[in-house]
Amino acid sequence: MTETGRYLKGILERGRAEARQSGSSAVEAEHLLLAIAAHPGTSAHRVLAAARLDRDSLRVALDREFAASLRVAGVDLSDFDLPVATADPERAVDLGTSAKLVLERAVRTAGRGPGRIRPAHLLLGVLDAEVGTVPRALALAGTDREQLIERTRAALAAEDGR
Amino acid sequence: MANERFTADADAADALAAVAALRRLADRLEDSAVESAMRAGWSWPQVAEALGVTRQAVHKKHAKRLIAAGVSLRRRDS
Repeated sequence: MTETGRYLKGILERGRAEARQSGSSAVEAEHLLLAIAAHPGTSAHRVLAAARLDRDSLRVALDREFAASLRVAGVDLSDFDLPVATADPERAVDLGTSAKLVLERAVRTAGRGPGRIRPAHLLLGVLDAEVGTVPRALALAGTDREQLIERTRAALAAEDGR
Repeated sequence: MANERFTADADAADALAAVAALRRLADRLEDSAVESAMRAGWSWPQVAEALGVTRQAVHKKHAKRLIAAGVSLRRRDS
């Protein structure tokens, strides 16, 4: 398996684990972002780290977005005292629509040819969503999404120039 | 006016995000409530009827993790 293939496989596996852990029935864009942040040693990881975004701080931002969005509908999460549900470690979690869009954008940006999708392409695919859970969570965390996009593009250009 | 447009966009984004968040909350509530009911001795048909779904659907979705959790399940037809 190519380096790219291994990375993508790892990201999808971690994304599935993140989805299961949060009780989500599908892997969504935010789970891919958490997975990217949990895989060190890539330019995508470095772009996030430079913005002080790691897996745990992103999880906190996503939880804040969840609570804030529920409040719009008049629901206060602190009113719920849910008994913790046992997770199913084998529950099939398919790729959700937002995750598919991330992959489509990554493929489009990376262009043709095998092994062309690099970690930064994937991150760009996540960041390019203008609406949805991820941009809302980043905004709540005080992160400048446009700047992250610029830095990711710069990282890709630097890699291409090698 | 630009400001009104901005507010309308922000309201729409908030409202749509609330729908997405409520769906996620409903998924979590379901996992939690089904587990509690089964621990309290409810049967699959009862849980299914209370949720308004088929017993096959609720069984397929939750049986594995409840068995893994050591919940003693009543027979489907009990």
